[in-house]
Amino acid sequence: MSDTTQPLLRVRDLTVTFGAHRKKLSAVAGVSFDIYEGETLGLVGESGCGKSTTGRALMRIVEPTSGSIELEGVELTTTSGKALRNLRTRMQMIFQDPISSLNPRRRVKDIVAEPLDCWKSVESDERTSLVNDLLNKVGIDPEIYGNRYARQFSGGQCQRISIARSLAMRPKLLICDEMVSALDVSVQAQILNLLEDLKIEYGLTLLFIAHDLAVVKNVSDRVAVMYLGKICEIGPADTLYDDPEHPYTKFLLGAALEADPDSPVHGEVLTGEPPSPMNPPSGCRFRTRCPNATEKCAAEEPQLVDIAPGHQVACHYPLSTLIRREPAA
Amino acid sequence: MSDATTLLVVKDLATTFATPQGPLPAVGGVSFTLNENETLGIVGESGSGKTVLSRTIMGLQPRRNVEVSGSVLLNGFEVVGASEQAKRAIWGLEVAMVFQDPMTSLNPVMRVGKQIDEILRVRLGMDRHAAKARAIELLELVGIPSPAERYSVYPGELSGGMRQRVVIATALAGSPKLLLADEPTTGLDVTIQAQILNLLQSVKDRMSMSVVLVTHDLGVVATRTSRIIVMYAGRIVEMGSTRDVFARHRMPYTRALLEGSPKVSNPSHTRLLAIPGRPPNLLSLPRGCAFAPRCSFATDICRNERPELEPSLEDGHTFACWNPLPVSQGVPA
Repeated sequence: MSDTTQPLLRVRDLTVTFGAHRKKLSAVAGVSFDIYEGETLGLVGESGCGKSTTGRALMRIVEPTSGSIELEGVELTTTSGKALRNLRTRMQMIFQDPISSLNPRRRVKDIVAEPLDCWKSVESDERTSLVNDLLNKVGIDPEIYGNRYARQFSGGQCQRISIARSLAMRPKLLICDEMVSALDVSVQAQILNLLEDLKIEYGLTLLFIAHDLAVVKNVSDRVAVMYLGKICEIGPADTLYDDPEHPYTKFLLGAALEADPDSPVHGEVLTGEPPSPMNPPSGCRFRTRCPNATEKCAAEEPQLVDIAPGHQVACHYPLSTLIRREPAA
Repeated sequence: MSDATTLLVVKDLATTFATPQGPLPAVGGVSFTLNENETLGIVGESGSGKTVLSRTIMGLQPRRNVEVSGSVLLNGFEVVGASEQAKRAIWGLEVAMVFQDPMTSLNPVMRVGKQIDEILRVRLGMDRHAAKARAIELLELVGIPSPAERYSVYPGELSGGMRQRVVIATALAGSPKLLLADEPTTGLDVTIQAQILNLLQSVKDRMSMSVVLVTHDLGVVATRTSRIIVMYAGRIVEMGSTRDVFARHRMPYTRALLEGSPKVSNPSHTRLLAIPGRPPNLLSLPRGCAFAPRCSFATDICRNERPELEPSLEDGHTFACWNPLPVSQGVPA
């Protein structure tokens, strides 16, 4: 992923603000990132940090308040009507609740064919073979299950059908919003493996939004960590998990429970809860819970800066510099 | 382990619901014991019977269309078949429960302090002032900042993590000997989850209780329990010390659970062990081992005859499997 290649998706200073006047809630408060073709960017954070709103704003399911979103060099925020409709076929979204994202009164083969029908892009015999092919790809036998209704399927199977539907238009970018959170462990493993296979087969680029740190690491090449509407750290998955630079990332990883009795129980647990996004703290948004916060953190908002190639952190005192200064810590 | 006093003895416990489609054996013959001051984890996927099991131990089940057999002996009290009145005498004082959803387990139109008071006044016969003082103490114990002020807020004014702390405070009010926690941290954020689990551990030590931690998340039980029960389709498929179950498991389903869950310590793009299919329909369980249709080691005997729990070489480690994994197959700890 060299700097010379153009990113598939380029997001700059994206903000989404709900409400007006005094009751303004800035769910996404200036987020910038790139996603390169063929990679998976994981987006993690706790509830209310704005990760889902970011995903929805990219699809313009919610309207971005300001900022720029470029897909393959085309600006998404200013397009509308037919042009936007055309652009949306290039990106698809998979939602958390697999059952409610499918129409319970339609047959599976029609659900999967719906994007094709909307665009009237294929003839009817080609439609059938395409749908059968897609269903086979996600592990659902079209001969047996094609005529059943969505309500007759389990959560894992519904998520497979959602994946088949999202692939029907051959999108470049797939936005997965908590797509495995509602599934049991054994089914979750099936879906995650399936996603990895399809990503290679269809040449997909993924934005994988989830709260589960282990799941995100498993699928992602790079990971972005969000806190209260802003990205606080972004970097290669393995580096970010092994050597986090932002104190919030470190606490988040420390709180993650590993299915291993020998994993250390972290004594350091983040105290308190995130402040309200209606009234975020001045300066660094994490400073109210950060053990290293100083006056500078309250006065000056840290910007995302490179700390290593491809690894950016928004913190006045990144952890690696801190350890160098006080070896006892 | 032999010196410890046994608090709970569950024997051949079965809970069967009568449904229009026929009998549904949610829990199908479960036996285990729990010692004082012990933390036991019950792990399973949805529909494995873990929640019904914990509710049956508590004696909470619908009045109609359910049949419970076997025995639950809690500190000498037989829960199965006891009258509502008799059970009410142990609820809160001997055994208490923390449910998954902290919003629906609190009364939304009652101040949180009053919900803690209630148990102190009704069950322990405290007067109003003593109960209030104790309730504030309990709120402080569960780590709620400025407890005296929070005493008079409504549950809706608190965050999910804070509400779960209040639920724990109400459960602790009667100083129970056994705390059943059913998915106490599911639905909470990771940093809050860590806070709540640490809290449960510290109150357990301070009040010398036994805790049963029911969860689908192996990460929750890995470092917080001494023993683990793995359930599948209403039965125990493996049981043993936490270390044995994680490192020396013999049942292929346990391995599927462990190797199917992504780990933070694994490099990205690690291939997960995915078993095909999904948990069976309890209305039409297979004749043999319930896991056989999804198991890559299944043979004819697995499909025809149900395996019983058999002790392994290690102390107290048992599993139900005809073709167990070799000992070395376990994930190195």
